[in-house]
Amino acid sequence: MANERILIVHDDSDMVAALRLILNSAGYEVLDASSSQEGLQKIPELSPNLVILDATLEMASDPQVSLALRNPAPQSPYAAYRHIPILVLTPYHTTTSLRFGSDEAYLPVDDSVDMPIDPDLLLNKVRALMA
Amino acid sequence: MSLSNVLACLADSAAMALRADAAAVCLLDESGTRLSVAAVHGLPAELLDCAPQAIQLCALDREALTRRAAVVADAQHDPLELLGKDFRAGLCIPLVHEGHPVGTLHVYATVPERFCEDDVMVLRPLVDLGVTAIVATRAMAELEALEASQAQFIRMTTHELRSPVVVAQSLVRNVLAGYTGTLTDKQADVFTRISRRLDGLENLINDLLDLAAGKAPGQAKEGPVVLNASIGRVVLLLQPRAEDKSLKMTFQSCRDQLVVRGTEEGLDRIFVNVAGNAVKYTPPGGAVTISVQQVDGQAQVEVADTGIGIPEEALPHLFEEFYRAPNAKKAEVGTGLGLAIVKDLVERYGGRIQVKSTVGVGTTLIVTLPLLSTGAV
Repeated sequence: MANERILIVHDDSDMVAALRLILNSAGYEVLDASSSQEGLQKIPELSPNLVILDATLEMASDPQVSLALRNPAPQSPYAAYRHIPILVLTPYHTTTSLRFGSDEAYLPVDDSVDMPIDPDLLLNKVRALMA
Repeated sequence: MSLSNVLACLADSAAMALRADAAAVCLLDESGTRLSVAAVHGLPAELLDCAPQAIQLCALDREALTRRAAVVADAQHDPLELLGKDFRAGLCIPLVHEGHPVGTLHVYATVPERFCEDDVMVLRPLVDLGVTAIVATRAMAELEALEASQAQFIRMTTHELRSPVVVAQSLVRNVLAGYTGTLTDKQADVFTRISRRLDGLENLINDLLDLAAGKAPGQAKEGPVVLNASIGRVVLLLQPRAEDKSLKMTFQSCRDQLVVRGTEEGLDRIFVNVAGNAVKYTPPGGAVTISVQQVDGQAQVEVADTGIGIPEEALPHLFEEFYRAPNAKKAEVGTGLGLAIVKDLVERYGGRIQVKSTVGVGTTLIVTLPLLSTGAV
């Protein structure tokens, strides 16, 4: 797992700090972007092994990182990064998480973690996505 | 009853009472300077779409509003205007509420000299009733708009409140899980208490969000929804929580696809709440059984648990906002909003909810919804 890079796109620096604590302790290199534009700009520069998105920020953003990354068009500037797994942090409250399940295909993401973050659950999902 | 129904009723009744050929109700706008036709009887419906007229231009109405009523004996000999060319006689009565003009009631006849001042007395009770109804429906619409804007406000503020709580809880969990180093027993105790309080706060915010979402207009349109699919999603969502508590969760779906009226989100919310309560209030090792069936032409979802049960004295209050049964308060963190939201939604979809419970044995909640159609799964 050493040297694997994770890019977090989140506009809350405290949340980034919380994620960083967990991911650094597991040996991952953690990079962050505070907006979807910055995130999309950093993906080709950093070529991360995993992207973590915040569902609320992603839903409100234009362009959306997940849609740009998974754009099926052959001429897409992100064609080379389409395979990067995406984990989305969902603002869990009763039913919202149902809308982000991988079956739902609501956002083109691979898995979701409910907030508040359960550190062990997060690491399990991160490991599974990069396996 | 909507305002347009009330006004149509007033126009119809006025025409009938005076055996007139036509009638119309005109309403004043908020500034009290413009009149628009709001209901007609025996007149073309296109009048309803006409732009509001300045009161200065409506001679008949102006006269009626300055005096008690205006009578036009014969249109040919009277300089006052009439709405249509087909009428020779007219009567215009002001609609006044506590000294404030609200609008006017017009009555027309094809025969000249059809109306007199006495007719005003005949219509008086009807006009008074009409004015009361207009004022009441307007007040109701204002209340509804106020409730909607309050719900919108709650939604916005709770979203804002939620994010710091969630972030703080994530950080506290990191500390508790040892990601910031080893904790002493005392430190662990303090952080556990903080975490529990944050959980309570988060639950409250979540429920307020659901409550506000239910009351805010402009949500997804109600339509036919497959009930089995919603229950399936809810079971999938709750399975991990049930496993964490070593609960046996069983889902008995029926062979037919049951289609009910509602929204997917609304149905999910109902059953996440109901089944979530079953998981929450059932001690480890217990069982939660969810079944979907068709009973007497209706769709029925039964959620049965072997949990702590609900005391009899708590049952009548179960669906009240913020109410929590005494034994529930001791057992788990909660807000008492969940079931109020459930009842609100179930009733909106034309259904009903029943509870059977014995303390220490378990609870069964039954949600019955009108069945739109069935089909093979």
